[in-house]
Amino acid sequence: MVRIGGIIVHYANTYLEKPVVPDVKITGEGNTKVLKCMLNTGSDIYQGACKKRGSTLKQEYKNASGTCYMDPRDMAKLGVNNWDTVLVKTDFGEVVVNCAVSRDAPHEGTVFICKGPWANTVVSHDTYCCSDPTYKGIKCTVEKTDRKVLLMADLMRWVYKKYVDETDDDTVENMDSLGERPVYKGRKWEELIDHDL
Amino acid sequence: MTYEPPITDYDYIVENCTCAFCGCNCDDLDYLVKDNHVVAVRHACRLGASKIMEDMDQRLIVPMIRDENGELMEVDWDTALDKAAEYIANSVRPVFYGWSETSTECMKEGVALGEYIGAVLDNQATICHGPSLQAVQNAGYPIQTLGEVQNRADVIAYSGSNAMNSHPRHMARYAVFCRGYFRQRGRFDRTVITMDPKFSDTAKCSDKWIGFEQNGDYGFYNAIRAVLRGKELYQDVISGIPKEDIYELAEEMKAAEFGVLFFGLGLTHTLSKQRNIDIAIKMVQDLNRFSKWGLTPMRGHFNVNGFNIFMAFECGFAFGVDYCRGYPRYMMGETNTIDLLVRKEPDCFMVIAADPGAHFPNGANQHLANIPVIQIDIHWGPSTELADVVLPGSFIGVECAGTSYRMDGVPIYMKKAIDKPETCRDDEWIVRELKERVMKLREEPNTAPKYVPNPNAL
Amino acid sequence: MEYILKNGIVYDPANEINGEKKDVMFKDGIIVDDVSSDAKVLDVTDKIVMPAGIDPHAHVAGPKLVVGRLYRPEDSRRGVTQKTKVLRSESGFSIPSCPATGYRYSRLGYGTVVEAAMPPLEAKHTHELKISKGYGIKIVNPCGSEAWGWGMNVHGVNDKAPYFDVTSKEVIQALAKANEYLNLPHSIHIHPNDLGHPGNVPTTIETMDAVKDIKKSSKATIRDQVMHLCHLQFHSYTGNSWRDAASGAEEIAKYINKNDHITCDVGQVTLDETTTMTADAPMEYDLFKLSGLKWTNKDIECETAAGIIPCIYSGKSPVNSLQWAIGLELFLHIDDPWKVCLTTDHPNAGPYTRYPRIISWLMSNQRRTEMIENREVHKWVEKRTTLPTIDREYDFYDIAVISRSAPARIYGFEDRGQLTPGYRADIAVYDINPNDIDPSRQYAEIEKGFNVADYTIKDGQILVKDKEIVKVKESQNIWVNVKGYEKQEQKVIDDIMPFFTQYYSVKWENYPVHDHYLSNPIRVDVEK
Repeated sequence: MVRIGGIIVHYANTYLEKPVVPDVKITGEGNTKVLKCMLNTGSDIYQGACKKRGSTLKQEYKNASGTCYMDPRDMAKLGVNNWDTVLVKTDFGEVVVNCAVSRDAPHEGTVFICKGPWANTVVSHDTYCCSDPTYKGIKCTVEKTDRKVLLMADLMRWVYKKYVDETDDDTVENMDSLGERPVYKGRKWEELIDHDL
Repeated sequence: MTYEPPITDYDYIVENCTCAFCGCNCDDLDYLVKDNHVVAVRHACRLGASKIMEDMDQRLIVPMIRDENGELMEVDWDTALDKAAEYIANSVRPVFYGWSETSTECMKEGVALGEYIGAVLDNQATICHGPSLQAVQNAGYPIQTLGEVQNRADVIAYSGSNAMNSHPRHMARYAVFCRGYFRQRGRFDRTVITMDPKFSDTAKCSDKWIGFEQNGDYGFYNAIRAVLRGKELYQDVISGIPKEDIYELAEEMKAAEFGVLFFGLGLTHTLSKQRNIDIAIKMVQDLNRFSKWGLTPMRGHFNVNGFNIFMAFECGFAFGVDYCRGYPRYMMGETNTIDLLVRKEPDCFMVIAADPGAHFPNGANQHLANIPVIQIDIHWGPSTELADVVLPGSFIGVECAGTSYRMDGVPIYMKKAIDKPETCRDDEWIVRELKERVMKLREEPNTAPKYVPNPNAL
Repeated sequence: MEYILKNGIVYDPANEINGEKKDVMFKDGIIVDDVSSDAKVLDVTDKIVMPAGIDPHAHVAGPKLVVGRLYRPEDSRRGVTQKTKVLRSESGFSIPSCPATGYRYSRLGYGTVVEAAMPPLEAKHTHELKISKGYGIKIVNPCGSEAWGWGMNVHGVNDKAPYFDVTSKEVIQALAKANEYLNLPHSIHIHPNDLGHPGNVPTTIETMDAVKDIKKSSKATIRDQVMHLCHLQFHSYTGNSWRDAASGAEEIAKYINKNDHITCDVGQVTLDETTTMTADAPMEYDLFKLSGLKWTNKDIECETAAGIIPCIYSGKSPVNSLQWAIGLELFLHIDDPWKVCLTTDHPNAGPYTRYPRIISWLMSNQRRTEMIENREVHKWVEKRTTLPTIDREYDFYDIAVISRSAPARIYGFEDRGQLTPGYRADIAVYDINPNDIDPSRQYAEIEKGFNVADYTIKDGQILVKDKEIVKVKESQNIWVNVKGYEKQEQKVIDDIMPFFTQYYSVKWENYPVHDHYLSNPIRVDVEK
């Protein structure tokens, strides 16, 4: 159900708050602080559906793309459960993402983050003269963290800082959220189209 | 997921529409339309349905320009187009990136603008199947249309491709489950082999999963080739696969009546990149000594192949074409978007129907924060967060007709089903307007005073 | 706008004009008898004037071409040129880019090209039967491409396709009959079985003989033939393998001299590095096994297949030299130039930009002898062909026949290929004075003269002037619309619909070439 121009339209629903993941409960604190892993990125059906629908500002995209899928044994080593937050670091950057049990497990020692702004901050831009960056098979570390996973707009602001004057990472990370909806300024067109955004 | 009743409240159905998502370009979709909105889609997969019933919350409706506070302000079309044209006309190294989710008709305008101003034109192949194209240039391209697979293939191999997730109808409509002229029992007449380090959803519904180790692609295919050529394997385990399994697999592939290898980004994004594809192509060529084999890259966007075909048609090179000297240049690793951005060369970046914000590595995107970025797209996405001018386009195959090329090179005319929002414009119109405005602002650079034939072509 | 081409030396074989000094006039794109005194005068004193060239068989626009360009950047790089105020940039040698293809034909003085291969499924790409917007019926390696679906081939015209109880001969006869029944302007256009295989002469002759008794439609008044064979050079080999292969050109030519239901084009090897591409996919795989160069293949469901491979034709190679000689033998042994057309089967035997060089070979026995004696070609030419014994030389009239008049007649064109009033003003002027040149000795000048036309006029518009392209014109597509069979057509569609729905990977609605793709179409209507 969507409101368009004041009318309620019943759409077939394609939204899904979170990807479906195996319901595995990890108990215990874990025995490893920093886990060394191999990082792969790529697409899956949740990320694809959300991205191409255009819902990139929303929680749904954060959950679909900003999630690190792990082998449950690796999660046990860190002592993390589905939808806890972890910090992933590589030679190319770091990012805070959720973690979840991989649907394709077992693959101990390998983690998977769907492509998207979150994965971008940690993948390698090296093309080895062959046009294509190295999106797969990157050495990384994964550790538990209390930091929050940023929404897409906030993440872009934090990583690229194109339109903020601040240069300090921590300050930008803790700024007010830009939210889950586009921010339209000026609103000249409102009279022209009857479109209730 | 909760149960959803089927949609019954619609005005009419538009039949045989073409899906604007992946390279399968399924052309059998039925759109249920109410009040000029597609409210449900029949026959589409989850991805296609999701894209076609887009998120109107984030639909770009009006042109916008960044103001001095770094906020996007709504403006009228003239102001936005003038601003964008000014950025392009004043640049010395513009890059026009994207094109894979728009029509071939729009590309025609794009190449005219690019050739006029001396831009680099590149598409998403540069970050997905670029290495495949390079491998094709190294080794050849034994391909077949998807209907040929449907009618004849009895062995289907997916390598580094998770079709169930990224091309969900591929197995159903073209390759595995469908019945064909010589494969009347559908799935039962075919053997499916998935070669992937990951036990992917595709592997789960295959007859055989070969889980070679990460970055082991090259060694694995090399071993198969060796076996096909009658050599003996000396190592017991190659790329994580016992040699007995490799012998068995080679025999199975030789025994196929008609085999097809579909490969995806699993091969192009790992360490050996184009060499993985090279060897896969050579393996297919070797297999043709024993039976009939072909391959097809699993192209991601519905028109990513279209751009490559179109550019090859127009200038002889498939992607990463640099017009800055007044003639087309193409050099892998030099004239491609990622390399240019990492070297911080471009001084103006136009992204059309693509999302570098979502798909370029940080190291490349950092440069976009330093230069003007013009975005032509239909949704507010990660790239909008980096854009200085935003021009709202229209949705090809839903709101606007156009040509696209399927992953196997079959062109499909995607028809229009509903009207676009009245303040949006067709991509083709936008690029043509930009071209005309740029032509007014700047005289054509880099023209030769006189035609000089190339001595090598005489 | 009126024009008069003054004082040229005109060769117009359709009107039996052989080197007469006369003026050619045209108005609003059409050739006329007379113009007013306002007509613009183009002085072409003592220069050759001919109808613009017609290429009857080239691959310039099909989907194969694009794959060729896509996978051979080395060829594209070979021909890059910078853009000018008038021209876009060019690229390519054997497979030039789309604009370059047009520019180079214009420079050669050509006005019409027939794209020889278009799988209906991908016809939107070619942008040229009502549904796929084609001009005629082309048959390639009948049954062989079906067999290729299984990695096999057929040999000879009496071989059956696997799983189908039909021979190539039956396919040819049925299609020839259908072609005449529909009164199509062109006859069937056939690429016979066994292309490029030593010992294929009997197959070629049987193919020609298969349609001997089929009567030409009485409504197809322009053409004489019921079958056109393309790139005949590739079908004229004797022997059992390349080890003992030799020329069968004389035998083939003898058959054509005796029978009037056949025309052909040659597919002359030009001894260049080129890109071979044909719908004869199994043959391309054979070539790949020989050369090891990168192999491309493209099978199209239910319709056809295609193979592409780079090929280096060299005068040092015995086989390539043999092919070169056989092509020339065909030209020289076939007595009536109206039965043979100048082609290289572009880009298979060489790029079309080499036509002037072939013309110089045909016009100069001295040049041919030099090439043989100077070892520019392998000694197989002397040992295995009759070429050294032929001293026939073409004259300018013969050249005009094989490069424009014969193709126009063979295709049944009613609007081009002649300088007759009422025809389209497609004209080429070459900077050669036929009364002041000895082509036999001055073959280099002949090649140079035909390389760039002085004027190329297309539909009355001057595209090339003083050897420079001054104007670029949008291309047109010619297609045939057969009328009077609407009912039968509907029945055929109804009959194939269940097959189509089940076995094609696109929907019927999305299969035809929409009118959207035809810029300035020329529709040729054929009545029942």
